[in-house]
Amino acid sequence: MLTMILSNLRRRPTRTFFTAAGIAVGVATIVALLSFTQGLRKTAAGIAHLGGSELSVFQANVSDPTASVLPQSILTALRSKPYVASATPLLLMVEAIKPEPGAVVFGADPNGFFTRRLVLVSGENRQAAGATGNAGATGGAGASGTAGAATNGILVGEKLAAHMRLSPGSPLVVHGRTFRVEGVYHSGIFYEDAGAVLPLPVAQALAGRPGEQTSIAIDLAPTVRASTATKAIERELPGTQVISTTDQALRAGANSTLISKAILVIVVIALIIGAIGVTNTMALAIIERQSELGLLSTVGWSPLRVASLILGEGVAVSVLGAAFGLLLGVLGADLLVKALGVSSYISPSFTAWALGRGLLVGVAIGVLGGIYPAWRVTRMQPLKALAGT
Amino acid sequence: MSDSGAEVVVEHVHKRFGQVTALQDVSLRVASGEVVGIAGRSGSGKSTLLALIGGLEAPDSGDVLIDGEPIWRRRHTAHVRREIVGFVFQRHLLLESLSALANVEVPLLGAGVRRAERRRRALSLLREVGLEHRADHLPSQLSGGERQRVAVARAITNEPRLLLADEPTGALDSGTSERVLDLLFGLRDRLGMTMIVVSYDTAVGARADRTVTLIDGQIVEEGAPAPPGPGGRSGIEGQSGIEGQPGPQGRSELRGRA
Repeated sequence: MLTMILSNLRRRPTRTFFTAAGIAVGVATIVALLSFTQGLRKTAAGIAHLGGSELSVFQANVSDPTASVLPQSILTALRSKPYVASATPLLLMVEAIKPEPGAVVFGADPNGFFTRRLVLVSGENRQAAGATGNAGATGGAGASGTAGAATNGILVGEKLAAHMRLSPGSPLVVHGRTFRVEGVYHSGIFYEDAGAVLPLPVAQALAGRPGEQTSIAIDLAPTVRASTATKAIERELPGTQVISTTDQALRAGANSTLISKAILVIVVIALIIGAIGVTNTMALAIIERQSELGLLSTVGWSPLRVASLILGEGVAVSVLGAAFGLLLGVLGADLLVKALGVSSYISPSFTAWALGRGLLVGVAIGVLGGIYPAWRVTRMQPLKALAGT
Repeated sequence: MSDSGAEVVVEHVHKRFGQVTALQDVSLRVASGEVVGIAGRSGSGKSTLLALIGGLEAPDSGDVLIDGEPIWRRRHTAHVRREIVGFVFQRHLLLESLSALANVEVPLLGAGVRRAERRRRALSLLREVGLEHRADHLPSQLSGGERQRVAVARAITNEPRLLLADEPTGALDSGTSERVLDLLFGLRDRLGMTMIVVSYDTAVGARADRTVTLIDGQIVEEGAPAPPGPGGRSGIEGQSGIEGQPGPQGRSELRGRA
């Protein structure tokens, strides 16, 4: 049967090629989008654990976590909770670096654990508490006297440094103001490594949001579970939402929910378009091959067996397309991310499950697309089919 | 191969295609191992009768029994074609993308026979029709006569007990026709299967045990075959009164006329 299926596909190479190509594009789209989703999950996971924290507190019901605004009083209240070991405020500035609009600039308390935990790979961290020196300081707006606040220095993540070819001493324009790169750091969190860090007062002044923060990163007291603390914070501080898991991070903003749903819709559309393509091809094939299919019935093939042949051809062409689609998806996702300029916050992530789903979708396209033509074959009358009418 | 030929009984069969009556109250009995020629003009219902017997087309009323079993009582008749009947058509109807060997294997594939066994049996049949050396050739690389011999091999692949041939030499020249008929009748003699042959060819009529003549969907004559006519292709038609003049000999029974 397989020999016959492959022989039939080889018999019309152009049609097989174009059908497979259509499916390949559909599967590639699905694989690329799934890799984006996976990448988005990783990025979202970073938001939950900024600065290596156990959880982060944001304003509730915002379209995106970066749009959150928390007053100073929330920080004060959190620091007084027995289950909080340490809390550090962060101001997240998006689209502040024009060449890399996806890069996030973090305004971080120089005394907080966020700044302290950065691992320098080059240069120095003059922002961290206790740091001395003031290389290149020209005075910063809103400087409040904490270490580095009055400086013109900025720390950049290693990914941003690589993208923009930055090294200690390089100039970097943030929100229209030129800073000098003091050091390049690694944190292990995609968001942070693709962004930059300024002292919180400098960032607040730059953003025109003095006394405000986007989120508060929290380290919990020993033995306190994240889920327990989450419930307590959301109960005791109305209007806040706590993000401690990837799923919570994905659900936190309307934007990421929208993206996830949009991707699901695109996957379903790709599936439908692919299935229609296969249906069209196979339906045309059975019209053209009536005489041949009638012959199979004449020599004793059961309707089910003839239908299996048609279904098999549909699945075979789909698997062929899916295989090319996987390759295209893997190669295309990276190119697409770069072309769209979103490489700062999405890094396509390919898992075996994502690739498997791409292949499954390919097979599903073949099965769905082959069902109607196969059903038509079972209704075919051998004599009429033999006559080719 | 088959132990014996199948017995075929056609009982008061009617068949219409739209406004056209193809068969009208046709009854026919073919004994096990018998060779029956079916003659008649184009459009007289010969091929329809053959299709009904082979389970390719359902009668509007009446019944077809093979070895006493009504074949149209089941939803599908594929099992009849797979286990009892073999077909040979005027057009060879070989699958162009498959080799001669693979074409002969096709019925066995439908029957779920394993690959090695399929190959063995198909090669043996190609040898039997003298085309073993052409096993790997595509139909387009074979002559008309060779293609028809492959079609004959395919028809007997499932060891049928009833062979239905619809103008098997209709597309062949006289020399090739003779060889194909020799093959068909030789196989029939050796295997003992029942054979029903629709043909204009007088040579078929001459070799059949008896002939049945159809006019306008009704059997008008059954009888022994006539000797070949001078034209070679009008013997059955001529002797059986296809033009509306019943032939002078061999009429044994008239059925179908109301």
